[in-house]
Amino acid sequence: MNFRLVFKVTGKTLMVGAMAMLIPMLVSLLYQEDPTPFLITIPLMMVVGFLLSLLKSDDHFFTREGFFAVALIWLLMGAFGALPFYFSGYFPTYIDCFFESVSGFTTTGSSILTAVEPLPYGILFWRSFTHWLGGMGVLILTIALLPSLGARTLHLMKAESPGPVVSKLVPKSSQSSKILYGIYCALTAIQVICLRLAGMPWYDSIVHAFATAGTGGFSTKNLSIAAYGSPAIEIIITIFMLLFSVNFSLYFLILCGKVRQALRSDELRFFLAVVAISVVLITVNISPLYNTLGESIRHAAFQVGTVISTTGFASTDFNLWPEFSRVLLVLLMFIGACAGSTGGAIKCSRVLLLFKCIHREIRQVIHPRAVNVVKLDGKVMDENSLRSVHIFFAAYMLITLGATLLVSVDNYSFGTTFTAVVTCIGNIGPGLEMVGPMGNFSIFSGFSKLVLSMCMIIGRLEILPILVLFSGNAWKRS
Amino acid sequence: MKIIIVGDGKVGYTLAEHLSQEEHNVTVIDTRDDALRRASEALDVMCVKGNGASISALMEAGAHSADVIIAATSMDEVNMICCLTAKQLGAKFTIARVRNVEYAMDLSKRKKELGIDLAINPENATAVEISRLLRFPTATNIETFCRGRVELMGFRVREGDFIANQPLSAQTGKIRNLPMLICAAEREDGEVIIPDGSFTPQVGDRLYLVGQPAGLNAFFRLLGRHTSKLHSAFIVGGGRISHYLTAILLKLGMRVKIVERDMDRCLHLSDVLPQAMVIHGDGTDQELLEEENAMASDAFISLTDRDEDNLIISLYAVQQGVTKVVAKSNRQNYAGIAHAAGLDSIISPKLITASQILQVVRGIQNSKGSVMTALYKICDGHAEALEFIANETTHNRGVPLKDLRLKKGILIAVLVHEGQIIIPDGSSSITAGDTVILVSRNHGILDLNDIYDESMLDLGAVQ
Repeated sequence: MNFRLVFKVTGKTLMVGAMAMLIPMLVSLLYQEDPTPFLITIPLMMVVGFLLSLLKSDDHFFTREGFFAVALIWLLMGAFGALPFYFSGYFPTYIDCFFESVSGFTTTGSSILTAVEPLPYGILFWRSFTHWLGGMGVLILTIALLPSLGARTLHLMKAESPGPVVSKLVPKSSQSSKILYGIYCALTAIQVICLRLAGMPWYDSIVHAFATAGTGGFSTKNLSIAAYGSPAIEIIITIFMLLFSVNFSLYFLILCGKVRQALRSDELRFFLAVVAISVVLITVNISPLYNTLGESIRHAAFQVGTVISTTGFASTDFNLWPEFSRVLLVLLMFIGACAGSTGGAIKCSRVLLLFKCIHREIRQVIHPRAVNVVKLDGKVMDENSLRSVHIFFAAYMLITLGATLLVSVDNYSFGTTFTAVVTCIGNIGPGLEMVGPMGNFSIFSGFSKLVLSMCMIIGRLEILPILVLFSGNAWKRS
Repeated sequence: MKIIIVGDGKVGYTLAEHLSQEEHNVTVIDTRDDALRRASEALDVMCVKGNGASISALMEAGAHSADVIIAATSMDEVNMICCLTAKQLGAKFTIARVRNVEYAMDLSKRKKELGIDLAINPENATAVEISRLLRFPTATNIETFCRGRVELMGFRVREGDFIANQPLSAQTGKIRNLPMLICAAEREDGEVIIPDGSFTPQVGDRLYLVGQPAGLNAFFRLLGRHTSKLHSAFIVGGGRISHYLTAILLKLGMRVKIVERDMDRCLHLSDVLPQAMVIHGDGTDQELLEEENAMASDAFISLTDRDEDNLIISLYAVQQGVTKVVAKSNRQNYAGIAHAAGLDSIISPKLITASQILQVVRGIQNSKGSVMTALYKICDGHAEALEFIANETTHNRGVPLKDLRLKKGILIAVLVHEGQIIIPDGSSSITAGDTVILVSRNHGILDLNDIYDESMLDLGAVQ
C-alpha cells in the first residue's frame, strides 16, 4: 500500500473541500450571521490538507490504493464537515454533528434535528451543500479541478462512482469529470429557476435544488416540502428527483445527439417501469384517503419518486398510509436509483441483472447443457461483473441485517430499527414509524448513530472501499 | 488530438501509453476483455470492446471525427480493412501495421485506394536498425537524420579512453575540429546530461555523438575503437526479422548462419535465402552453438520470440568475446541488468514501431509550424533527438546562436544549410529552409519555436 500517495490525494481533496466551504461562509456573511464556525474549520482543513499534499511519493497507484483513499477521504470529509455544525452550537454532541455531516455527504438526508427552522442560514446552506458535493462525489470534483492527480485517477472514479461497471464518457478522466459536473450544474440551475418560478424564495430554491440534485433530502423546513403546500413545487421536485436518478451518461448521449441509444437503455426502461407500476398500485391503495384522484396520484408519485431516487423529501406522512403502500415503499428503498446517477441503494441495473441471473439459473436447470449469457443493453456481461453483482447483493443484505441487530440494542420496535438501517444504507432518509417522514433520528443512542453513519458511508461507497479500509491486509506494507 | 488505436497488443499498448501521456484523447478498441481491462486500469484512455474492422465498433469509438487511426492488430487483413473502413467513415489519417511482404509490395502502389496513409512494418524496421548497428559495431545505437547524411551514435566510455576524465573544453584541437559533436550523455546512475564545455566524461558514461558519418569514423579511429568491417553474422531464431535482416546482410556481402527450431520454417528460409546457411536446431543449446562455432563469428544476434532466452544467450556471447552482440527484448525492465553485464545493444521492435508512429503523429499535430522530419528517443527514452525544417514561421531567424536564449536542456546540434552540414558555433544562425537537428531533455517539443525561452519571444518579434 502506497500510504504517502493515498495521504497526498487525501490532502488535495481536503483542500478542495475547504474551498467549497467558502460558499456557505459567504452565505452566512450575506445574511449578517456569525461566520466563526467556518472561520475555524476552513483554515484547519486547509492546513491539514496542505501538509498532507506536501508529502513526496512515487506514483504506484492501483485499485487497492484507490479504494483505500476513497474510504479514508469520505470518513475525513464527514469528520471535517461536521465541524461547522459543532462550532455553531445548535447540535448537542460531536457524534450528532458527525451523523448530520455524513448524512449530508452520503446524500442520505436523515437528521437528528428536531427543529430545523431556528438554525442560521449559513449552517443550513452548508448542510444542503454537502448533498450537492457528495451527490456527484467529492473526488470526482477533485479530479475535475486538479487533473495533476495523474493517469491512474480511474481507480478513484471506480471506487466512488455508483454502479456495477464504470464507463468513461470521453478518453480523459479529468474531462469526463468535467462533463459530469457540467451536466450536474446545468440541471441544478434549471431546477433552481423552475422552483423560483413556482413561487419558492431564492434561498429556498437553491437549497432545495442542492438537496434534490444530490438526491439527499435535507430541507430548511420542519415539514419538508409539505410546508409549502404548493402542488406545483411538489410536481417540479418529483420530476427532478426522477431526472437525477437516471444514469448521467445517458444525458451525455442525448447531448451528443444519440437520443435513441439513450432511450434504449435497459436500466432506464426497468427504472421507469418500476416507477410507473408502483405509482399505479399506491394510487389505488391510498385513493380512499384523498379527495380527488389527482391528489392521490400526486402524493403517490412524490413518495415513489422520493424513495426510489433515494432523496427522502416528504410531501405527506406516508407513515399513516395503508400497510401495502408502506411495505412497497420499503421494497423500493432496496432497489434505488440507476447506476451512474447521484442516487443510492442497490441500483436498478444490479436488480435487473439479478433477475436475469435467476432466469438463467432456471433455464439451466431445465436444459443442463444449455449455454446462456446474460446481456445488458445488448452487450454480454462478463462473469466477473455478474459475480460482483451477486457478492454486492449478499454483502448489502448481510450488512443490513447485522446493523439492524446492533441498532436493536436501543430497544425500539422492529419497524423503526429495521427501516432506520435500510434508509441509512440506501442513503434515502426517512423510514417508518419513529423514523418516518415526520420523525427524526435524535431518539437513537450515540452508538447507534455511529453504526448508522457507517451504514451511510458503506452504502454510498458501495461497500467494498470501506471493507478494504478495515481489512488487516490493506494496512500491511508489503 | 483524437486518436483511435485498434488492437491492444504490445505495440498498441505502448502507443496508448505514450500518446495518452502527451495529452491526446486516446480510444482503444480490442475484442479481448482482459487486454482492455489492463489498459483501462493503467492508462487514462477510453476502451471500446469490439472488432476494430467493423463499422459499429469504429463508430462507437468516434472514428468519423478521429484525427488519427492506428491499426495495430496482429492480423494484416484486419488492419487493412480497419483503415479502409475508418477512412470512409471520415478519419483524417490512417496508419496500418502491415507485416506480410506481399501486401507491403501492393501497398506501395495502391495506398490511396486502400485508404492507408502510412503502412508500418515493425519487423522490417527492426531489421534495418540491426543492420545499421552491424555496419558500425562500436556504436550501441545509431539513428540517421537528413536522409542518412547525418548520424547520431551512442557509445560507452571505457577505461583508458583519452576522452575520459577531461573536460570537453580541454580536449585537443584534433577532436574539436572534427565535423561532429557530443550532444548527450547518460551517466551510469541514469542521469542524463546535455553537455557544455565544462562537461567531463567519465568511464561508464554512454555518450551520444552527432555529425557527418566521416567525422564520426575519424573520431572512433582516434579513440582506437575503429573496428574493421564485420564479415559474418550468427542469427538465432528464424522469424520475420531474421528474414529481412539476412536479406540486408547478404546484400552487404556478409556470411550469415541462421539457427531455427521449426523444420518447415527452415525449409522456407533456405528456399527464399539460398545464400544463407540455415541450421535446424535449438539456438539456446550450448552444444549446438559450439558445434557451429557461433562464438567465432563477428556478430551474434538473438531474435527468438522469448526475451529471456535472447538476453541469456547474448550475455553468453558477450562473455565469449564476440565483437558485436545484439539482443531483441521487448521488455524494458531487463535492459538495465543487461547493460550492467556488458550487453549494450538491445533492440525492441515494440519501441521502434511506437517511436516511428509517434513521430508521424507529432508531425500531423504540428502541420502549421515548422515540419518535424525525425524523432528518436535516446538515453533509454529520457531524451529526444529531433529534426526540423525551419520555415517562415520560425522565430529568431538570422540571430547568432550565442545571442539566443534556449530553454534548459536543449542543444542545437547540427544545422544543414543549403546542403552543407554545419556543426554550429556561436556565430551560426538559423535561416528559413535549414534543417535543424537538436537534442532535448524536455519531451513534447512539437515546433522549432518550442525551444526558445519564453521571454525571448518579444525580442524575436522586434528583430
